[in-house]
Amino acid sequence: MLVVKNLVKKFNATIAVNNLSFTVNQGKIFGLLGPNGAGKTTTIRTILNIIKPTSGEIIFDGNPITYEYYNIIGYLPEERGLYKRSKVIDVLVYFAALKNLSKKDATARADAWMKKLNVLEYRDKKIEQLSKGNQQKVQLIAAIIHNPKLLILDEPFTGFDPINQQEVKDLILSFLSEGKTIILSTHQMELAEKLCEDILLIDNGKEVSSGKLSDVKKHFGGNNIRLGFNGDNSFLNQFSEIIKIDNYNHYSDIQLRDDIIPSEFLKKLIGKTEVNHFSIIEPTLNKIFIELIKKNSG
Amino acid sequence: MKKIIAIAQWEYLEKVKTKTFIISLIITPLIIISFSVLPSILFREEDPKVELVGVVDTSGVYFKGLENELGKYKLADGQRNYVLINLYFRNKIFEELKKIADINVQENLLEGYLLIHRGGSDSVYAEYRTKNLGNFKNAGRFEEALNSIRLKKRLEEKGIDTSLINYFQNKAAVEQIKIEEGGKVSELDFLTTFFVSIIFILLLMMMVVYSGQMLVRSMIEEKSSRLIEMLISSSTPDELLTGKILGLSLLGITQILIWVLIGMSLIASSLIPIAAFKNIIPMLLYFILGFLFYASLFVGIGSTVNTEQEAQQITTYLSLILMLPVVIAMPVIQNPDFIVAKVFSYFPLTIPTVMLLRLNVENVSELEIFLTLVILILSIFIVTKISAKIFRIGILSYGSRPTLKEIFQWIKE
Repeated sequence: MLVVKNLVKKFNATIAVNNLSFTVNQGKIFGLLGPNGAGKTTTIRTILNIIKPTSGEIIFDGNPITYEYYNIIGYLPEERGLYKRSKVIDVLVYFAALKNLSKKDATARADAWMKKLNVLEYRDKKIEQLSKGNQQKVQLIAAIIHNPKLLILDEPFTGFDPINQQEVKDLILSFLSEGKTIILSTHQMELAEKLCEDILLIDNGKEVSSGKLSDVKKHFGGNNIRLGFNGDNSFLNQFSEIIKIDNYNHYSDIQLRDDIIPSEFLKKLIGKTEVNHFSIIEPTLNKIFIELIKKNSG
Repeated sequence: MKKIIAIAQWEYLEKVKTKTFIISLIITPLIIISFSVLPSILFREEDPKVELVGVVDTSGVYFKGLENELGKYKLADGQRNYVLINLYFRNKIFEELKKIADINVQENLLEGYLLIHRGGSDSVYAEYRTKNLGNFKNAGRFEEALNSIRLKKRLEEKGIDTSLINYFQNKAAVEQIKIEEGGKVSELDFLTTFFVSIIFILLLMMMVVYSGQMLVRSMIEEKSSRLIEMLISSSTPDELLTGKILGLSLLGITQILIWVLIGMSLIASSLIPIAAFKNIIPMLLYFILGFLFYASLFVGIGSTVNTEQEAQQITTYLSLILMLPVVIAMPVIQNPDFIVAKVFSYFPLTIPTVMLLRLNVENVSELEIFLTLVILILSIFIVTKISAKIFRIGILSYGSRPTLKEIFQWIKE
């Protein structure tokens, strides 16, 4: 379990991280979300012990960060790249050595991982000879080869085709059953929605929303329905129950006033139009993200 | 410590395998050697042989004299070096004589021929026509002979003793000899000692520039790919820095070892006299410490650089500093107490190269060697400390290059 308490990081006059507190539970994926420049990278760097926080505490499994911490942490940075002119196996063994693994152990683990991710055939090739997707797989292996307890993944899915994305997603989920603690930072809200149990949404270094994803959704509100109908949508204008309408091709997503019961609203609709679909919908994480950030900056 | 070794090992092995390193390892000394040793091999005189030289003397007065004058050049077996053939016939036209003689030269019947025009009564103009223009020695001897004949003729006309000529031709000579400690006389001529130190300085410069560039280039790669973040989430910046300096130094030592082997084979083949290396221990010390000093400097500076161009600029400046001794070499040789040289001998950036020069052209006291070495070692420690501070922040700063003010702030932090 990772506990971050009142984290502040200032660079001269600018405050990159402004009093963030959160807890990442073991066996769970924690989504660290926010627009570009929100302070995600700085937050990650302080957790990684790359930069010292101005104030605040970072505690992992009950202990403050020490030198040993380096060997139980795994990190996949957002921008990818490896030593292009070096051999795949050499690079993997080097990164394992930096995590205090012996050469023999590192080689065995590297081989096992390469086999699992279908890149074993490139073992003795130079990195630059690999496709972009395969290079990323190698980098992912480099980040997890030492079986880290805490894993920080910054945009792990970018650059992968859908098949490989699936592979990586399955891999990340398999880590959960091993009891790893995982922080996922991403802009891909659909994936975050599927993977993360808890989220922290930040903007300008400050917390915008946090907690269990289901609670965040509930809290965001959302007396939302999806209505399918034939013909023109202008009839919707007459209802004072509607706060907001998003029109699509054959349906509209409608936000109702909180005091309105959806089934009562349906009754009113009948007769006004030909309803062919009616469902209660939860707000997507994507929608929550956009709305909250807009509200925050506006 | 385990991680430092892993980093050093990686830096060393990955760089030792690169083409740049292998090229610099072999090409650098080859270039330097060929520039310094080749000319002396090329100018080594060929074994002299009998040369047939024609003479077309339109005045008819020089042929006999030339035979006498050139008769003094003898081969080892006592034969004459030059056998002269008179090609002048009164009944032939000048142009025709020239044509025949030219053909003789072209067909290798003659080495060449001397075409003597008599200008005024006092001056003589001659051509030495040959297929091989590079032989300055022959032309020089012919000139000397003709001059001496002219002088003799004039002296005879005036009724003066012609043996005075021999007196004129014996000139005074001054030879330079360097006195070593204990009053020994150096067996080496000045140029050799000078060249040996220049070779060492050039080697050091090339090595610093090559390996510095390699280091900075690999750091740019690590920065631009954000690999550096994976590295420093695995080890402390200090471990990374130490590992890099260590790896680079190992690389330098490998180079030195191979060059020493090359040097030893050169001595064995007696292209360079062994006496040129009598200062070898202090020279190697300056060399290795100098390299270490620059390596630690490069790691600090390299961490602030984001592009190849910036890196190139920096290495160019540093190599200019390294070249300084070549600039001040002449004044130092003429006057070993030259104050500028003394000052640069105590300035860390120039200690290694200036001392490499001074060691060979003058007698540097042991105290001075000791002091400069101490300064150099202290500077290495200080530069490493400062570099570590710059490194810690520099490796994480992307985008525009930090200003000097910002760097000072990093050092203070």
